[in-house]
Amino acid sequence: MNPLSHETLALLQGTADLLILQALRQGPAHGYAVSRWVRERTEGVLSMEDAALYQALHRLEARAWVASEWGLSENNRRAKFYTLTPEGRAQLRAEVSAWKRYASAVFKVLETT
Amino acid sequence: MIPHGTKRVFTFPWRSTADVRADIREEFQVHLDMRTAELVAAGRTEGDARAQAAREFGDAAVGASACARADTRMEWRQRARTLAADLMRDTALGMRLLIRNPWFSALSIAMLALGIGANAAIYSMFEQTLFRPLPVATPGELVNLAAPGPKPGGDNCNQAGRCSDVFSWPMYRDLAALSPGFAGIAAHRASDVTLTPARVDRSEWAMGMLVSGNYFDVLQVRPALGRMIAEADVAAAAPVAVLSHAYWRTRLNADPTVLGEALLVNGRPLTIVGVAPAGFEGTTLGFRPAAYLPFPVRALIEPGGAQDLENRRSHWVYLFGRLAPGVPLAQARDALNAPYRRILAEVESPLLTGVSDQTRAQFMAKQIVATDGSRGQSRLHAVLNTPLTLLLLVAGVVLLIACANIANLQLARAAARASEMAVRLSIGGSRWQLVRQLLIESCVLALAGGAAGLVVAHWTLQGIAMLLPASAVDMSLTFALDWPAMLFGAALTIGAGLLFGLAPALKATRPDILSTLKDQSGQPSGARSSARLRSVLCTAQIALAMALLVSAGLFVRSLVNLSNVALGLDPEHLVTFAVAPGLNGYAPDGTRAFVERLEADLAAIPGVTSASASLIRVLSNQSNGGNLVVEGFTTDLDADTNVRMHGVGPTFFGTMGMALLGGRAFSAADTLGAPRVAIVNEAFARKFNLGPNPVGRRLSRRGAVALDTEIVGLVRDAKYSDVKGEVPAVLYEPYRQKPDLFAMYFYVRTALPPEPLLAAVPGVVRAIDPRVPVRDLVTMPQQVRENIFLDRMVSVLSLAFASLATVMAALGLYGVLTYTIAQRTKEIGLRMALGADAATVRGMVLGQMARMTVVGASGGLLVAFGLGAAVRSLLYGLDGFDPLVVASSVSLLAIIALAAALAPAMRAARIDPMRALRWD
Repeated sequence: MNPLSHETLALLQGTADLLILQALRQGPAHGYAVSRWVRERTEGVLSMEDAALYQALHRLEARAWVASEWGLSENNRRAKFYTLTPEGRAQLRAEVSAWKRYASAVFKVLETT
Repeated sequence: MIPHGTKRVFTFPWRSTADVRADIREEFQVHLDMRTAELVAAGRTEGDARAQAAREFGDAAVGASACARADTRMEWRQRARTLAADLMRDTALGMRLLIRNPWFSALSIAMLALGIGANAAIYSMFEQTLFRPLPVATPGELVNLAAPGPKPGGDNCNQAGRCSDVFSWPMYRDLAALSPGFAGIAAHRASDVTLTPARVDRSEWAMGMLVSGNYFDVLQVRPALGRMIAEADVAAAAPVAVLSHAYWRTRLNADPTVLGEALLVNGRPLTIVGVAPAGFEGTTLGFRPAAYLPFPVRALIEPGGAQDLENRRSHWVYLFGRLAPGVPLAQARDALNAPYRRILAEVESPLLTGVSDQTRAQFMAKQIVATDGSRGQSRLHAVLNTPLTLLLLVAGVVLLIACANIANLQLARAAARASEMAVRLSIGGSRWQLVRQLLIESCVLALAGGAAGLVVAHWTLQGIAMLLPASAVDMSLTFALDWPAMLFGAALTIGAGLLFGLAPALKATRPDILSTLKDQSGQPSGARSSARLRSVLCTAQIALAMALLVSAGLFVRSLVNLSNVALGLDPEHLVTFAVAPGLNGYAPDGTRAFVERLEADLAAIPGVTSASASLIRVLSNQSNGGNLVVEGFTTDLDADTNVRMHGVGPTFFGTMGMALLGGRAFSAADTLGAPRVAIVNEAFARKFNLGPNPVGRRLSRRGAVALDTEIVGLVRDAKYSDVKGEVPAVLYEPYRQKPDLFAMYFYVRTALPPEPLLAAVPGVVRAIDPRVPVRDLVTMPQQVRENIFLDRMVSVLSLAFASLATVMAALGLYGVLTYTIAQRTKEIGLRMALGADAATVRGMVLGQMARMTVVGASGGLLVAFGLGAAVRSLLYGLDGFDPLVVASSVSLLAIIALAAALAPAMRAARIDPMRALRWD
């Protein structure tokens, strides 16, 4: 099965972490906000099941890249908010630059052929 | 939200696994609800929206458990990090507090160091001699074998075990061949030998260990080099030897090329075939064999050795076995007893002659006894058990007293810190946090004390080494701190920290301490119960010190008794040593000439008044005996006719300072050809009812055809093998009438100080034959001291420990009294203002001291009486209760308690009522 032929693309390994960290760069957010951000920003091209999103969030928290705290949502509902820690911010910078170098290398190959 | 970088102010309670799961469930539910609401807002129906939200979410169950795993891991990591940080902080705080109270810290550390050091040192001795298993594979499978009961023919034993423990070599061969229930049964027997490696050409007296062919197999000891003694060596009586690692290293520079070279053992060349592994020193504590030899080699190296190997009536071999896998000790023993009893009945009982029916029945009823052999076979275990257990107990008490003292000091500090604790409790500190911090402070103190204790332990061990005879120091003991002792010390350190820290910590953090804040007088409401605890601790200290003082008094008195024992001989100005020309290949006649010449040459040394050879090293636990037939005494076979025997030179009695009471001494004319003569002591005359003048009576060894020996003299009783024992009946015979001379002990009396003589003796021996080594060269007083070294060690150490305990108890008493006075300053001031004079106030303080001392001392005396009864076997010339010792210990304690109370009493009497009442 060729993933590129589909409308939505399955996430490559490690991409979920990158997207979540990027989403949190704007400020603290609860899981649903992160999910919506990813869907809107990728215009539905990149799909990620929400269960996987939460797994990634908790994993990132265990690595101390994000911190969490219960707070109130915009609708005054109790929700768990995630914040990027300084370590997470540094990690994001490193991953973004690695991703850009990776992508440009791949594009170079694709454009020359 | 707390900005990052803010220090954690409050600790949130930890989340349980259920909490973690509930949080995740809620988080997921919130998400689903939000998504549903959004879809509904976009115009979808409720049910439709909820279904899509769930679809988008994916597998919630798998997600939840993955999240829970991550969260739990994080939770634990955080807990550990917080705990570590807390511990670090508490430790740092504890250290700061210790530095801020240098006197308290120094005193506590000093007391702990003495207590822990003493324990570690004694434990080191205890562990090495009584605990440590042999350095072999699964030592727990080893069992020692013995067969107590009549041993017709004779027995010969040494430090490896009692004389009832030995077997004959033929019996060993029979048992080893059968050995049901055992993986193998091995035999060993130590033997003094001279060793001369061919390449070194210098003889020395050393210990040879005769071993059975399976000795090393049963022990599962592998060679460091070459091979071990094997069954084939025993079967072929091969002249081979295996060196101990220590001998190979120190005498042959650990040269691997010695394999195949000759080792002269008692002048006979044996081939070196292997080297035992480092650390293996045979199976008897106190013996350090230099070489292992197959049993049949005894026929080569010792006259009469061949007979011992064939004779079923000659009992001299020690046996141990390794249990077959899974077989319990009792089962193996019973399985072995069946063939053993059969051999006794069928093979050995026909050999019994000249015994009564009673003895025969006892002989037939002999059973093999099997005991735990994991520590090998040594009589030292039994000898050291009581004294070392006692000393360990005493050292433990010293540490307890130290802990009680420190607990008391802590309680005093706790009172001073009461408001700190109260404030911390009231602003939300948990009690556990405060207790933990106080315990950590205690542990920091204990660690400092433990570290200093290592130094004390080292000194103590050096001190113990000085108390032991050179031979004991040479045996396998080490007098440096080893791992087991260090671990023991470390365990004690932590234990002590908790012991002296826990009660004060709990006390200091009592929830009702909150009332302190309200209490305007500044007196914690818990002060009364705290003062009671301090008094109880102090009284307990006095009790323990009392018990130790009394028991130390008993041992000192016992040592004094031993020092004043009438030996019956004069050890001053007497020097003794041994030579064994027989070990250098001298035939008995050559040995005789050697010994006679040496006697003459020694007597010619300037200052020497006389010199004599003999067959026994007196007062050093050597003993030789046999049964006699004495003219006019009953010939009943079961009558006790056993006497100790001694072969001596013509000038022996004069040299030893033993008084001749009747008849004549031996002369140079009492030789092999002359009529056999003997001299007996008073105990001998009493034992055989010989009356005041036994001279002229005749006797013989049991079994001889005629009464072939005539008593020609009577000497005063003198101690024979040890200082403590009763003087046995001794038969003295001229060594010149003995046909088989081998090794001899010499006694040389000098009119001058003995030191120059000690220096001169080796030269005199060397002038006769430089190859014959001198051994056991000491002054007689030294030999006597070494004979009672254990008594000396126990009394010196217990006196030292008791003194320490008493001083600490006095310190404790002083501290409690001082504290009480400080607490009651106002009350005392009031009393004085109301007319009490200084004497009344002094009396109050002294009364408190007296109450604690009387109660403590009474309790201590009860303990001491129990202790005295338990150690009766260690005492000489007194039993467990001695009025003089009790009286002097009580007086000493009373004087010290009074001295400790005097300064506080004076201080109390000088309190100025005006100033005391004006406080606050």
